Amino acid sequence: MIKIEKGNITNKVDELFNCSRCGSCLAVCPVYRKTLNESFSPRGKLSLIEALSKGVIEPTERLSDILYTCTLCNYCYVECPSGVLIKDLFEAVRLDLIGSKKYPKILDLLKEKISNGKNVTFDSNEGRLDWVKQLPGVNPEDLLKENAEVIYFVGCVSSFSPRAFSIPRSIIKLLKYAKADFGLLGEEEWCCGFPLLSAGMHGEAEEIADYNIKKIKQKGAKKIITSCPTCYHTWKHEYPKIASEKIDFKIMHVSEYLMALIDDGKLKPSPLDLTVTYHDPCDLGRNSGIYEIPREVIKSIPNIKLNEMEQNREQANCCGGGGNLESINEELAASIASDKVEEIEKTGADVVISACQQCERTIHTQLRKKKKELKKKVKTWDLTELLLKSIEAKGE
Amino acid sequence: MIADKKINKLKEIVGGDAVSTAVEDRIAYSYDSTRLEYLPDIIVKAKNAEQISNLFKFANENNIPITPRGSATGLSGGCLAVNGGILLVMVEMNKIFDINTVDLLVDAEAGVITEEIDKKARKFNLFYPPDPGSIKSSTIGGNIAENAGGLRGLKYGVTKDYVNSLEVVLPTGEIAQFGAKTVKGVTGYNLKDLMVGSEGTLGVITRATLNLLPLPQKRASLLALFDKLTDAAQTVVDIVSEGVITSTLEIIDNVTINAIEDYLDLGIDRNVGAMLLIEVDGQEGAVDIEAEIIKKVCNKNNTTSCKLAKSESERDSLWSARRAALSALARVKPSTILEDATIPRSKTVQLIKAINRIAEKYDIRIGTFGHAGDGNLHPTILTDLRIKEEAEKVEKVIEEIFKETVKLGGTLSGEHGIGISKAKYLQMEISPETFGIMKRVKKAFDPNNILNPGKMSFD
Repeated sequence: MIKIEKGNITNKVDELFNCSRCGSCLAVCPVYRKTLNESFSPRGKLSLIEALSKGVIEPTERLSDILYTCTLCNYCYVECPSGVLIKDLFEAVRLDLIGSKKYPKILDLLKEKISNGKNVTFDSNEGRLDWVKQLPGVNPEDLLKENAEVIYFVGCVSSFSPRAFSIPRSIIKLLKYAKADFGLLGEEEWCCGFPLLSAGMHGEAEEIADYNIKKIKQKGAKKIITSCPTCYHTWKHEYPKIASEKIDFKIMHVSEYLMALIDDGKLKPSPLDLTVTYHDPCDLGRNSGIYEIPREVIKSIPNIKLNEMEQNREQANCCGGGGNLESINEELAASIASDKVEEIEKTGADVVISACQQCERTIHTQLRKKKKELKKKVKTWDLTELLLKSIEAKGE
Repeated sequence: MIADKKINKLKEIVGGDAVSTAVEDRIAYSYDSTRLEYLPDIIVKAKNAEQISNLFKFANENNIPITPRGSATGLSGGCLAVNGGILLVMVEMNKIFDINTVDLLVDAEAGVITEEIDKKARKFNLFYPPDPGSIKSSTIGGNIAENAGGLRGLKYGVTKDYVNSLEVVLPTGEIAQFGAKTVKGVTGYNLKDLMVGSEGTLGVITRATLNLLPLPQKRASLLALFDKLTDAAQTVVDIVSEGVITSTLEIIDNVTINAIEDYLDLGIDRNVGAMLLIEVDGQEGAVDIEAEIIKKVCNKNNTTSCKLAKSESERDSLWSARRAALSALARVKPSTILEDATIPRSKTVQLIKAINRIAEKYDIRIGTFGHAGDGNLHPTILTDLRIKEEAEKVEKVIEEIFKETVKLGGTLSGEHGIGISKAKYLQMEISPETFGIMKRVKKAFDPNNILNPGKMSFD
């Protein structure tokens, strides 16, 4: 006997009914545009969730396969004439699929990693500061000081993936240049919990949220900054919904904090003769509403030229790296990224700037794969790396 | 249900990956924009006309219905498999072959998204004028089958005016070519035009050659507000009488303006009786002269504000209300029923007034906006179809709107089609003689009633 859980979805039947099946979402959904399969479109998924809520179908492997094939980029919501909260519905049905034990088995591995190791990798959480080791003139111990005004919440990928190390390293250097009073949690930092939340595993995520909030409070911090837009989105929009601990400090994305430092004259960008384009990460843009600040940071650098992609801000296309899609269907994620790279190339930029380590990695991998087809070499930098280069250019 | 043996045969025709009987897929291919649902038995994705031809031979032998489907954005149920059977998915046939910049033609497969055609044409300084609301997601095959319209109807016409020639798979399995790649052509019956608007009941369009036009050099956009609906409607008539054929002439009524204000708070006076969004395009000097004439006509008809956009960003802001109209109405109630009653331009006021009267009589909210220049209005009924009494009321409201429309010399459907949602009203407008010949045409093309059965109350 299978236990069927559908409480989360039956609570949302009114929202489900708001979908008029007009198909506007087909034009923008990266998964539909690549698969041309209606079942995988936002409209198709909503019809399946509705059928599930009415008991017309039961949760099956195929259903879970369909419903998890999504980057959670939320472009469908922007395009939806009825304003259906599509992502909320996708997240609700995932809770039910977890409850019914019908979900992609790869998620068990993810849960195990986070529950046991407190991060998304197989590495021990003690390695959270390995990236600091090769940073000249920085003593990890100093970064773990007892009290700090600002805590930089580094996030799992930037802490453990050597490819991303340059992001936290750039941030440390920038904060030092600005003489900011900042610290890190080091091995006391736990994964923000988003991979569990988006998978529909709420219970575990709630515990994580409370733990992380407590740790920040212990440091007496007034602000936390994150470089990962997903950590930012989770802290800013998910924690208040799931945590019992109250948040009494400010949550900022690093781009906001750096812009404030530039405005205060604590960081003085020097000219860079470069043409760049900016990729809006879904969790920073559509899911958090931060579109202009990263662009302001770029424009604060004299001589730099920012060429926008044809689709930008609310209409920015996803890089394919969001919402666990890569672990569910790697090939599909790569093919979404491949389209993104074509858009980037059309801008004629020397460098594509992002503000997300995951987007940066997805785009970089595709750029490398398509090296031979591209007219010129395009580099991928994080916004913080770009700013550091400008600060260190010393006004040549 | 269809036996495994037959399903295996289908897999032989189109390939194993292109056939699905999974319940999840059948559900996701059961609806269109009407939100009606009919479960197909099998989903089949076609790659070329030969496969479709073989499918028809198989379907005729086994008496299994085939219903073709593009992106299912239709508003009359044209692509719903009402008798079950095979749902034929066309979206994978999506190649644009060629843009001929001398003869101004584009050759494309039926599953191409219409906007892609226009985008590609624009690279050559050409454009594809028909612009249905669904242009970003609907397919050209679906647009042709439904003879889709759009905002530019008055000046540029509708889909039928741009179909040059077609490749069609007939319900009996033959692959036929209709039309010639010429401007003129009178060889035999004009079967190409019979296919346009046949709602997928006479053949499956697999490939089309379409006419393109050179992009206009200049465009002027104006937004005019009126206290009285009658003044706005008179303006529509007068603009055309003054010899100006606008590329866009959209009307938005007071109910819709209020919905837009609730949604976006654009700062439009909620007491405005109606607004007109007007565009003219063409050669530089001509556009300026036409814009001046429009301003004068608006002033003569007591406009309270008439703005001419001076830049692209100003144009964008003038468009914001019209662009938001459907979204704003859709947010008012769970169900949004978008009708497309169409009358001669001179009868616009009478129809809007009749709609308002009906709305009052049944105590239901109806926002009306649409293409006033060509008399194609979109009375949009806001309701909750889950409530039985509401659904019954809506039936009566629609019937009354149709009666008024026909009385005013109009037509039930300007651009959405009959399909199943308007099937029972069809004979309100067309005579038994007309209906009779339509049925005989259907029978001649499709003797076994294999293709898209259950539509237009033919069965």
